[in-house]
Order: sequence, then C-alpha cells, then structure tokens
Amino acid sequence: MAAPGLPRPCRCEGVVTGNEPLGPGLLRLSVRLPLEPGFVPGQFAMLNLPAGRAWTFGRPLSILDWLAGEVSFLYRVVGRGTGELAGLKPGAAVTFLGPLGTPFPLDLGGRKAVLVAGGVGLPPLFAWRKQRPQDVAAAYFGARDQEDAPWPLLDSGWRVGLEDLGPSARGGARQGLVTDLLEEDFPADGTRDDCTVLACGPWPMLEAVHRQARRRGWPCWLSLEEHMGCGYGACKGCVVPVADGPDAWRPATCCQDGPVFDAAHLAWPQLERT
Amino acid sequence: MMPATPQWWRVDPLEPFQLGPRLIPGRIWTASGCFAYGLTGHEMTAPGFASPFAGLGAVVTKTVTPAARAGNPMPRLVETPCGALNSIGLENVGLDAFIRDVMPELEKRGVPFVASIAATCPEQFGEMARALQETGGGLRHWHGLELNLSCPNVAEGGHDFGKDPHTVAACVRAAREQVTDRALLAKLTPNVGDIAALAVAASGAGVDAVSAVNTFVGLEVDLATGEPILPRRFGGYSGPAILPLALAKVDEIVRKAGVPVVGVGGIATAEDALKFFALGAVAVQVGTAQMRDPFSAATIARRLHEIYLGNKRG
Repeated sequence: MAAPGLPRPCRCEGVVTGNEPLGPGLLRLSVRLPLEPGFVPGQFAMLNLPAGRAWTFGRPLSILDWLAGEVSFLYRVVGRGTGELAGLKPGAAVTFLGPLGTPFPLDLGGRKAVLVAGGVGLPPLFAWRKQRPQDVAAAYFGARDQEDAPWPLLDSGWRVGLEDLGPSARGGARQGLVTDLLEEDFPADGTRDDCTVLACGPWPMLEAVHRQARRRGWPCWLSLEEHMGCGYGACKGCVVPVADGPDAWRPATCCQDGPVFDAAHLAWPQLERT
Repeated sequence: MMPATPQWWRVDPLEPFQLGPRLIPGRIWTASGCFAYGLTGHEMTAPGFASPFAGLGAVVTKTVTPAARAGNPMPRLVETPCGALNSIGLENVGLDAFIRDVMPELEKRGVPFVASIAATCPEQFGEMARALQETGGGLRHWHGLELNLSCPNVAEGGHDFGKDPHTVAACVRAAREQVTDRALLAKLTPNVGDIAALAVAASGAGVDAVSAVNTFVGLEVDLATGEPILPRRFGGYSGPAILPLALAKVDEIVRKAGVPVVGVGGIATAEDALKFFALGAVAVQVGTAQMRDPFSAATIARRLHEIYLGNKRG
C-alpha cells in the first residue's frame, strides 16, 4: 500500500515529448501523460515499451520533475533497456506505472537539508530542492568528470565536486568528492547540529555520507538502488536488509519500503557484506 | 494480421465455476509469487479499471512455509530477452503471520484467494493445512489451497521432492485430510520426464486440480566474470518464452491424467490464456506478466469476457 498522503499510482500510456542528451550517455526523457497524480521527491516510475515490444520488466527511473502533464527523468545508458530508451523519438509511446515507492521526507521538523547527489542520483534531490528551496542548507553534486554531469540541471545553488576536474573548471566545479566539500562547509565540531542529510548516488558515496552524518549527529535518509522486477512490492526481487531488533534483520523491498530509507533503520553489517 | 476471433470460446471468465467442493469466483487468477499476498496494488488506478483486482477469480498468494524465511541473497532476478530467471528463495512471512495478519486482511478487502504453502514432508503439509483450516475455515474469500511441490530455489530441494509421484501423493493426501471444503491444487514442476505421472498421483490422492506449470530450471552467465549471475547458480525461468513449453506440459496432463488443470506459464495476453483453455484448462494463472503490469490479469479477464459476449451475441 502507498503510505497515507502519497499520490495514488497509475498505469497509463504516455507519449515521449523529449529525449535530449545532457552529456555523453546522459539523457533527460520527458513524457506526456493523460493523468497527473503528482509525486513526492524520491518516488520513481516503471517505464516500459508498449505491448508487443515490452521488456519483461519495466525500467525504474527516479522522477526529476512533473509539470503540466509532463513528467521527466534523468538516466544514463547502461544496458539494453536504457539503450532502447535512448532511441525513443518524440511521439513514441511508452507505458508508465507510477509514482511508486517511499519518498524522502519533505517535513524535516525544522531542520535544514543537506542534499548530496551523485551522478544519475540527482533527480530526487533536484526535485526536493525545487519543492523546498527555503529548507536547503547546502546542495552538493558529485560526478567522475565534466562529461558525467548534467550541467543544464545544475544552477549556481549546487556545489559541484568532480573526481577528475580536467583542464577547464565549469560551473565553479571543484576537484574532489562531494564528501570533501561537505567536510569543508560543515566541520564536525558541533557548530551545526540542525541539519538532515538526504542523499542519492553510488553506494560508496552513500556509505561515506552516512558516516559524516553520524559524526555530526544528523539524521540521514538514503535513496538506495537495486535491480527491480515489478517495482510495486509484488515479486520480492529487490530486497534491502533492514534492522529488526538488536542483532536481527529482515528483508525489505527497495521498491515499496524504499527506495528511500532512514539510514538508522538499515542493517549495516548485512549491507556492508553485500 | 490480426488473429481470427476464437468463436469457440463460450465461457464467461467472470462467471463462478465449480472446482471440487468450491465455487470459484472466476477463471483468471494470478500466480503464486507474482502478486505478493494480494495486499499490494490496491490503491493503483488505470484508465477503465477500478483496481488491479477487477475481474480476478483468485489471487494465489505468495507461498508460505512453516517458519518465516529471509530468502536468497541479491541478485534475485535476471531479465532475459523473452522472460526472466528468479531466485527469490521463498522469502515469506511464515504460516503464523499469514494466518494472523494476511488472511483476515484479504477477507476484509474481499480479495478471493488461494493460499499457497510449501513444506518439507507430507506430515508438515498436513499440519499447515490443518492450521489454515482451523483459522480460515469460516472465511468467505478463501477458496483454495495450492501445494507448492516444486519451488526450484530452496536448499531443501523442493524440486527433487516434487518429482517423485509417491511423495506428491503423500503430500496431497495429508492436506486433503484436513481441507475438505476448499479446492485443493498441487502445483507441479515441469522439470521431469513424465509430468502426467505426477498429475495422476496427485489426482489419485484427492486433488481437485493441478496447477501446471511452475518455472523451468535455468541459468544465466555473467560474461564479465564467467560466473552464473544468480548466487545459487540456477533460477526458475518464466515469462513469454515458456508459453509453448507450458502448453505442451498441460496437453500431456490433460490427455494422460484426466485431472482438471489450471494452466500457468508465459501468459501475457488474452490470446495466450485462450491457448490453455483450448487444451482443456479450467482456469489460468498470470505470473510474470503481472510483475510487469499489475493490471495484466485484469486486462486478460476483461478481454476474454468481451470475446465471450461477442460470441454469445454472434
């Protein structure tokens, strides 16, 4: 069941209105839908090709934005599905199931958000910042290099860290990891104890951000990624270990119980083992 | 070219039908493991549908075992061009939680369901059936019990267990002694030379129908590492690729065993379902397609109902 207060997911046919590259292998897909249930940042949709050409499972894509009947996504071409998605032209039909999953909290109880995004983990934090600009203390985006960053989405409000800065720094980007930038802006000396971290990106980044949040006594919410089957809790194909008592854990579904988890609820010993 | 409308189809899939001692609300079901416990997806909408449960004859719930199981490590799924391999490993809440939490909720929501159970010996099947009967006997929406004799993804070797006709018969007998007023089904593995022999054994021991088939054993290799992708090497293969394989198994059972068959395997469209009915299946289950689209089974039920109405008028 969708938690109370979340929009009801719908399954419908959509029409591609845009599918433009924002960098090499990095694209923004826009789809016009007949329904507009809305979404909460952190939620995703399962996209698929129409009947007859559909993949066995849809592709889960985090929702970047939803404006006037048009929903958009940011994705990287990593395999067969995303490769075929990249070939869709405006006018092409897709099937949509969403919004799905447990999102980031919007109400942080008076705390300020430190947003940390890595690579194609940007959409939920982009959307969060757009919906709650007044509650953002800092926003970080990290990527491998300049070609790996969706520059059209990164206004001056994002501090950008690149592992390989290259010859010409763009958009005020800095050499280094997002966690270096966070360390610089928020020394772990107890001066800022009123923040909450919201993060989405590669696993090593999430682990590092979680450690930083703990050192500062900040709550931490992480959006996790797993291979998904159904996307709505039916198949138990995407599980994440969550704590279930002092030394016990149980499998939770990444698609329905997540993808956003309170880091304090995750079973870290099991996660680190995998 | 559009396929010809099957004018021989004269059955309303939304009409209740008798299966053993029980009147089942309809002929289009969802398969075990593909729609969780029948409690997910209720809030979903789609143009023209009130819910993904519209028109469903039954949800076969995710298989439960005597104790809860955490299931297999990730990855659990591998997509192939025309199907999928799964190795979920019977992750489930356990029988007690199913009886305590799931069954009353299904009853409250009016979801017609067939409970699916797995055990490691006939006695255990009998005990589980008794527990279900004791607590669920009064439920209006509990219609049947499906014995999962063929899960390929557990260490105890469900497959070998379900490959022996004598053991299959013993399991069915143990459950039948406890559950007499609900439809009893045995879900058979296709990974045998003579599936009809299993169906004959199950029939002789008192099932009302066999569900055919469970997944085929498969394996996929990660070319980057040269290793199987699934941690347990093998998985259960399902999806459109297995439709003709499943049809062949069902045909074998219908012709040789004479026991009612609930067809399952690779159904994604109404036309796929009709192929099982054409061979003599009394009902069908939609599995992998339900994972892709929660409205798959509801769409198939509606389409078959329309074909039925068209033929009735014609």
